[in-house]
Amino acid sequence: MFALRSDLPLRGGGSGRFVGSLVMVLVFIAAFAVTVSAYVGALIGDWNRGVSGTLTVQVPVAAGSASDAQVAKALDVLSRHPAVAGATLVPRAKVDELLKPWIGDGVMSDLPLPALIDVEMRDAAPAAVAAVEASVKAAAPAAVIDDHRVWLDRVAGLARGIGAVAAAIIVLVTAALALTIIFATRASLTEFAQVIEILHVVGAKDGYVAGQFARRALVQAFLGGVAGLALYAPALGFVAILASRVDPEILPAVHLPPLHWAALALLPAVAGILAMLSANITVRRALSSKV
Amino acid sequence: MSPGPQAEKKSPGDTKGASSDTLSLNGVGLQYDDGPEVLADVSLTIPARSFYFLTGPSGAGKTSLLSLMYLAKRPTRGNVILFGENVTEAKRGRLAMLRRRLGVVFQDFRLLDHMTAFDNVALPLRVAGVAPNVVQRDVTELLKWVGLEDEMGKHPAALSGGQQQRVAIARAVVNRPKFILADEPTGNVDDVIALRLMLLFVEMHKIGSSVIIATHNHSLVERFAFPRLHLADGVVTQIPAGE
Ligand SMILES: Nc1ncnc2c1ncn2[C@@H]1O[C@H](COP(=O)(O)OP(=O)(O)O)[C@@H](O)[C@H]1O
Ligand SMILES: [Mg+2]
Repeated sequence: MFALRSDLPLRGGGSGRFVGSLVMVLVFIAAFAVTVSAYVGALIGDWNRGVSGTLTVQVPVAAGSASDAQVAKALDVLSRHPAVAGATLVPRAKVDELLKPWIGDGVMSDLPLPALIDVEMRDAAPAAVAAVEASVKAAAPAAVIDDHRVWLDRVAGLARGIGAVAAAIIVLVTAALALTIIFATRASLTEFAQVIEILHVVGAKDGYVAGQFARRALVQAFLGGVAGLALYAPALGFVAILASRVDPEILPAVHLPPLHWAALALLPAVAGILAMLSANITVRRALSSKV
Repeated sequence: MSPGPQAEKKSPGDTKGASSDTLSLNGVGLQYDDGPEVLADVSLTIPARSFYFLTGPSGAGKTSLLSLMYLAKRPTRGNVILFGENVTEAKRGRLAMLRRRLGVVFQDFRLLDHMTAFDNVALPLRVAGVAPNVVQRDVTELLKWVGLEDEMGKHPAALSGGQQQRVAIARAVVNRPKFILADEPTGNVDDVIALRLMLLFVEMHKIGSSVIIATHNHSLVERFAFPRLHLADGVVTQIPAGE
């Protein structure tokens, strides 16, 4: 431990409490943004793992038995294609089960559902996917092939958008923290004008004086950050409970990565260091213009 | 390599060669904003190991003159030369280094209220980066010297006026200054304490510091046979001891 002895009163003065409370709020917000971006990232990872290297071939219900013949042809072509590792017809019961959370029970058995073929690709390169698509089309013209890429791209686009907003929140919070510290430090330069004068009289350089303000800002912002996390913990717990009640078919249970927890734990320190730097620069600038 | 950059630094009005523990003012003027000159054409030299009273009517500019000497202000004209260095144009960081060889005592003490007596006295050493064990030793010794060994952990608010004054003096002398500049140090204490303070200053003088005391207290000036700098109408007149 390094001693945080300061020549300025660490407590007392309106500016101290102001900085602490503001940093508390800012860290709460930043923590939420960190969790959102980690969650979205984990969710995309999950979907990606589930979806890449697979295709779904849909053969729509047509009048008469043509559809069954097409399904058989499609399966035949797929099972012999070199880029395909395996192709299986999804049983009707499984299709019902997949759709149940979205549609509900009652109407299910009456619905004309397309036949679904799950395809595992051996080679998931776009060219191979296109080749498979072409041969399936030739065998079963009505078939619709979904490589999930469009779906995934859109979901990933949404997720990236949310991630970008979260990043913007972090940038804005950082700027707000720096501005808070700059203005609070300017206020405390006036508040502690006497102390500064004495420090100068006894031979302190501007850097020393700036260091005193920087330490003070570090302590205040760090404590404010810890309070912000303390406030965030129950909020995060609450959301986690709500999330655990959602059907996993709709919202898979995502494990937030260790990096997320590390980032949260570091927030008070980051806020403290940022505050320290802002205060230091502010004081040096203010003093350098004196005689 | 030469011992240090400042050893070679050329300054206008260089007085090196003379003893460097001197303080000189050459044609110094000081003006606040657009006001009249508080000090006009002050020239004087304080040699090493001297003792002066600084007298003059209230508002004559004693505080202003002292603050030029302890480098809190720069003259609006003329030069202040301290330790052989022209400080009129010196950088802020350099002024801080020079201030470490000065000790200043104020009439209103200017102790830091949120610090103990010990920490107040330790301040000049800590600011200069002195090692903690040396700080501990020197400050304790000094507080004993001024009779405050039992008061070290108290805050100024818990001390009497006389005790606060002694803390202020201990702070001024803890870095063994070459110059002690005191602005009406006896203004807020009774005559007995004033006399004791004077004896502390005299002791510091004996062990090698120059002392300049701005004061109104005629009985002190008469009691101690030291020369005077008399300030009136912006000009300093030197008056030998006993006149
Ligand atoms: N910061 C200041 N701004 C403007 N005028 C000042 C300031 N300080 C002192 N003065 C003026 O300078 C003159 C000398 O003041 P001062 O040096 O305090 O004298 P003394 O210490 O001898 O009483 C006075 O007229 C005072 O009003
Ligand atoms: Mg005065």
